[in-house]
Amino acid sequence: MRKPFLWATVAFMLIPLYVLTVNAFKDQQDILANPFGLGGLTLEPLGRALTNPQFNVVKGYAVTLLFVVSVNLLSVVLAAPAAYVIARSPKRRFRVLMLFFLAGTFIPGQVLVIPVVYVLKTLGLMGTIRGFVLFETVLTLPFSIFLYAGYIATVPAVLDQAAAVDGAGRLRTFWQIVFPLMRPAVATMVILNTFSVWNDFVNPQIILGPGSGLYTVTTGVYAAVSQYSTDYTVVFPTLLLAIAPLLVFFVFMQRHIISGLTAGATKG
Amino acid sequence: MRSPRPIHALTAIGGLLLLAGCGGGGFAGGSQAQQSEGGQVTVRMLVNITPNLTQAYWDGLVKPFEQANPGIDVKIEAPTGKGVADTLPQQLAAGNAPDVVETLTADETLSKQMLDLTDQPWAKDTPLVKEASLNGRVYTVGVGVQAQSLVFYNKATFDKAGIDRPPTTLDEFDTVMGKLKAAGTLPLQTGGEFLTGLQLLQLSSPSRAQAHPTWQQDIKAGKLKAGESLLPFLERYLTWIDKGYVDKNALGMKYADAETAFLSGKSAMYVMGSWFTAAEAKAKKDFEVGVFPAPVDKGLRYPGPQGATMAAPYMILKSTPQKDAAVKLVRWLVTDPAAVKSQLKQDGNFRSGVEREFTPLEKQVQEILDTAPSGVPQGEGYGDATLPKSFNAAWNTEVQGLYVGKSPKEVAEGVDRWLAGRK
Amino acid sequence: MTLTREAPLVTTPVVRRKPRTRDGWVTAIMVAPATVLYIVMLIVPVGLALYLSLTDWDGFSANPAFVGAANYVNLLDDPELRRAALVTLLVAAAGTAGLNLLGLGFALLVNGVSRANTFFRIVLFYPHVLSALVVGFLWSAILGTTGAVNNLVTTWGGEVLPFLSDPTWATITMIAVLVWAGFGVNVVLYLAGLQAVPHSLIEAARIDGATRLQVFRNVTLPALGPSVTVNIVLSLVTLLKTYDLVVSLTAGGPAGQTQTVAYLILWNSFHDARLGFGSAQSVLLMLVTAALAFVVTRLRRRGELAVHQ
Repeated sequence: MRKPFLWATVAFMLIPLYVLTVNAFKDQQDILANPFGLGGLTLEPLGRALTNPQFNVVKGYAVTLLFVVSVNLLSVVLAAPAAYVIARSPKRRFRVLMLFFLAGTFIPGQVLVIPVVYVLKTLGLMGTIRGFVLFETVLTLPFSIFLYAGYIATVPAVLDQAAAVDGAGRLRTFWQIVFPLMRPAVATMVILNTFSVWNDFVNPQIILGPGSGLYTVTTGVYAAVSQYSTDYTVVFPTLLLAIAPLLVFFVFMQRHIISGLTAGATKG
Repeated sequence: MRSPRPIHALTAIGGLLLLAGCGGGGFAGGSQAQQSEGGQVTVRMLVNITPNLTQAYWDGLVKPFEQANPGIDVKIEAPTGKGVADTLPQQLAAGNAPDVVETLTADETLSKQMLDLTDQPWAKDTPLVKEASLNGRVYTVGVGVQAQSLVFYNKATFDKAGIDRPPTTLDEFDTVMGKLKAAGTLPLQTGGEFLTGLQLLQLSSPSRAQAHPTWQQDIKAGKLKAGESLLPFLERYLTWIDKGYVDKNALGMKYADAETAFLSGKSAMYVMGSWFTAAEAKAKKDFEVGVFPAPVDKGLRYPGPQGATMAAPYMILKSTPQKDAAVKLVRWLVTDPAAVKSQLKQDGNFRSGVEREFTPLEKQVQEILDTAPSGVPQGEGYGDATLPKSFNAAWNTEVQGLYVGKSPKEVAEGVDRWLAGRK
Repeated sequence: MTLTREAPLVTTPVVRRKPRTRDGWVTAIMVAPATVLYIVMLIVPVGLALYLSLTDWDGFSANPAFVGAANYVNLLDDPELRRAALVTLLVAAAGTAGLNLLGLGFALLVNGVSRANTFFRIVLFYPHVLSALVVGFLWSAILGTTGAVNNLVTTWGGEVLPFLSDPTWATITMIAVLVWAGFGVNVVLYLAGLQAVPHSLIEAARIDGATRLQVFRNVTLPALGPSVTVNIVLSLVTLLKTYDLVVSLTAGGPAGQTQTVAYLILWNSFHDARLGFGSAQSVLLMLVTAALAFVVTRLRRRGELAVHQ
């Protein structure tokens, strides 16, 4: 009873992915006449998408990868120590700080679109990679700090005290003793942040702007496909190219998602 | 296990510094136009990107200009938001507005940011320049004209239904649709997104322009109510839905789906602007497509005035530091014969007096344009005949209401309520 | 969260002064970078949005005029906003219910270590990896009037199903797609919660002769309390911001019936050149989101306490 139900669910869940994959290998007539069918598969549309002069897919991957790595690094370096202080301190002001960070999750992205432009402009960071990476990192902070703090709370404080007795300062105690134990939570956040940076559509467009000539895979795909596109032999293969690496990354990393959430999200 | 940990942290911080460093060196100036580099000036042009007008097309278009003007480098920029209309405000806010913007026409808000081109002698002979001017000032110049009020039809379906000549009045239009329906074809292709409202504007323009020649101005002055004045069209449209002349599920189709459906023979007629000819020319199909000007109300002149919009409108930002180069570029874009021809062909647009290689369908559209008594602003309009921004979108939302149970009267009132709220 | 007064913050003992200041300095180093960046890039922009909401800025002009609360007054009788608010609340309520019922249900079904369960989890979660724009495009290609499903239906001689063309259907379709795309996240969050349920408790209950349902109701569910709260708040907050999927799945149609508040904000701000008004809508959305999240947390906390008594 359980297994058949689950398999039926699997079939349902995979329909869109199937439609995307199959139609990336068909010509326009086949897509229109028989969107679910498997007839007449060809590699030609995918080849054209890969060599699309409007959008260099390989460069898009490289730019996206740069962003993903930078944001993840910066996010960990900023969020982990802050979360440690919050988790370990009994003081009310740090509990307030936690709430202050959590409030960030209530802010709809639409509120920020224009004001952020002004802030970045004032800082001289508008249209720069630094500005984009910093802002994207800040967007990851609320949930990261929340998850890390929850995770650190499960790490026995005796460990810190032992290190303190050995004469280690707070910074060293954190990076040397506690941080290594946080690996599952960090892995989880890295994976989740990777998804959001990869898929972010609005912020790279606005902050990097058209003048930069920098496209992430996601923004590049939409620039190439355009909202009026009727040519499905362009749309389907380009979309497939945009999501395939992320799906592969997910399949290999998925087991790390749960392990980090286990302690972090339930104890917040 | 314990000793190497600080190194991890250090590498992380190192990476961070590295990142900050490389950002500062390499990209800080990335979005600001590099102004003078050995006498070279860069003109940044924000353009519309569509399946017809690709980035590659634009790059190729301006190449001859760059060759003829070695001191000027033209940088094509694709919109980043949903379109140029979204991108320009963002860029203005960000302080990195382009020098030239294509696609938009000046209204009262935009014109404050744009360079006044009234005194440029070459601007006087560009298409629709007078119609698009604002209080007598020219801010927008275009390459050609888009005819809006066209009905494309599938000749095979007309033959099958025994229709020997296209309808000229809206009553005849109804009769023709009845015959097509009886012959087993969906008479009129409509769709969701912005298409629903656009098509009704296109279809109604020739009649409306005869009844109310200064429609937009009258509405702005409070002499006329937009929804009320179009009520007969809304009532007629509802009968089409009821009789099955249009697909009652059309709102579940995107613009692209609708175009594809017509081009694959699933419907008999498709109301659309002249740019559709470019898509038609590319499509593989086993039937011939014809075109006729939108039919008019009984007793009115046929063909009536064409809903006409400026094709490839250009404006120059007032803030540009490259004023001379920008003016030179725009002048070239709208007057150079080769550049004009190329742009007209690429997006299926027209300009009287400019002959280019026409497909049979394009030839018919050019004839329709030449015989139309005038070209009139449509919907939101342009120049002095401009309604509040987003009128077309609000109109579209309301017209779609006909499909979901609203009465024509409610729709008309909805439109007028929207306009009243924008005063 | 309650503001009952404990020891005032200032009364830290003066005795161990030296080590504390050094410690305080280190603590500052650890907290300050994140906090400062967060304030500069998130809180300051929100403040700016608040300011803009009090102006008539169109997004172009250099000097927007201060109009006081006019935008907020206009919000009250804006029929578009009223409709969008209704849609948004409906999406948030129905979506939260769907996400959590499916999330918890499937978490129970795929709990436990096995290859098959790993596979199931991957498949349930993967839509979250896709951007909402891709999800919307694919589902509209499947469910649209000329989409894949209707293609099959009509070849078999059936009537077209109005998934996206009838307002009621389109709203349901949108909620269903949101749930489809998101419940994998809830599965994972609930799975994480389930790992924290003490095994000994369940076994003890079993030995006492409790049925599966009884064990779930009396042991598992109470132990999952905090998980349920996190899940509900997270779903609610995410769904109230629904934007991308509206753009890619329905474009707000038919007849504007699936426009959400977030969709309206962007529309007003850019297409309509009423950035001040759009900002007021943003501020309203933010306040409502925060208030709802707060209320839910409080209600849940009370519920949890009741369970424990």
